[in-house]
Amino acid sequence: MVDKFKVSQPWLTLIARLILGGVLIAAGALKIGNLQKSAMAVRAYEILPVQLANFLGYTLPWVEIGVGLLLITGAAVKISGLIGAITMLTFIIAISQAWARGLSIDCGCFGGGGAINPEDTRYISEIIRDLGLFLLGIYLYFYPKGRFGLDK
Amino acid sequence: MSVNNGGDKGTRNLVIIMVSFIVVIGVVFSLISSRSNTSATVPASVSAADGYGIVLNPNTKPTIDVYIDYQCPICRTFEILNGGYLNEVIAQNKAKVVYHPMTFIGPESILAANAAACAADENKFVGMNLALFQDQSTSENSGKWQGDALLNIGKSIGIESAKFEKCIKDGSYINWTGNVAAASAKANVNGTPTIFVNGKELDRNSEYADPVKFKAALAAGGVK
Repeated sequence: MVDKFKVSQPWLTLIARLILGGVLIAAGALKIGNLQKSAMAVRAYEILPVQLANFLGYTLPWVEIGVGLLLITGAAVKISGLIGAITMLTFIIAISQAWARGLSIDCGCFGGGGAINPEDTRYISEIIRDLGLFLLGIYLYFYPKGRFGLDK
Repeated sequence: MSVNNGGDKGTRNLVIIMVSFIVVIGVVFSLISSRSNTSATVPASVSAADGYGIVLNPNTKPTIDVYIDYQCPICRTFEILNGGYLNEVIAQNKAKVVYHPMTFIGPESILAANAAACAADENKFVGMNLALFQDQSTSENSGKWQGDALLNIGKSIGIESAKFEKCIKDGSYINWTGNVAAASAKANVNGTPTIFVNGKELDRNSEYADPVKFKAALAAGGVK
């Protein structure tokens, strides 16, 4: 079992990098074209002070793209995986508290966001998705070296 | 062997530097472009103090703030249910009403908001506001308001001036829509429609879709 893992680990790392990196780039790219909506999505969680929420809404998409690029090219994978994992954990906490408080919002993870009808909320699937991505990030923190990466 | 390793490390560091550069430039660009542009051309009826909204009856109290996006379907429903009463309030000078056309649904929201501002310059904002919602497409970002569509809507409500046509074709107030967006962000408006009476937000779950409750909410805020 251990030998099998040793052989496959570099490929698993590559796959994890591509998935997490690809999702982050897509998430960021979809928000860049509509920063107004990105900021609305963060404000709708009603956790942060308005100015901070707006700042995060305008800047997070770029951080997602940056971390995504690093993961895909395989540079600084350990820290990128960690940042990716922390980002996902933050989303999970934010979505969970919105759900618990009875807010009706779209997570805004891929460019949507803001208030929506209560029956249109998809909190469970959003949390499960982000949990999977969080685990990928953690895996990459522990196994950052893999195939076709720039880290040596 | 060592040359190979050195080269790889160089590529890696180069990538990290380039990505960091992209992120920093992107962040700075986004922060600057999201701010209000104090040198933007704004319609005469717009007040910076009122979140750069279009103001009707500037000297009356109380103040009603209406945040909408012309492509927002629920805003259209709101206009159908309560627009008539709101227009009465405006015509009878019972309140100062400030419209904030937000533009987050897409580029056509910006075109429509520009058209509404151009109509405000012709003292025909109320008519244009209604006409835009009546002409709203069944799907968002459909392309319906490209080309001469907005000019024709203006014509349909009696706006024939060359000034209006130039305003539409030049997109004179497109920069102003950015100011409205920035002010809406500071006012923490996260969905449309959103209505405030004297700074107090109406309950979107009960008071927007019920004309009786809406009228009562306005009365409670001081609209006689």
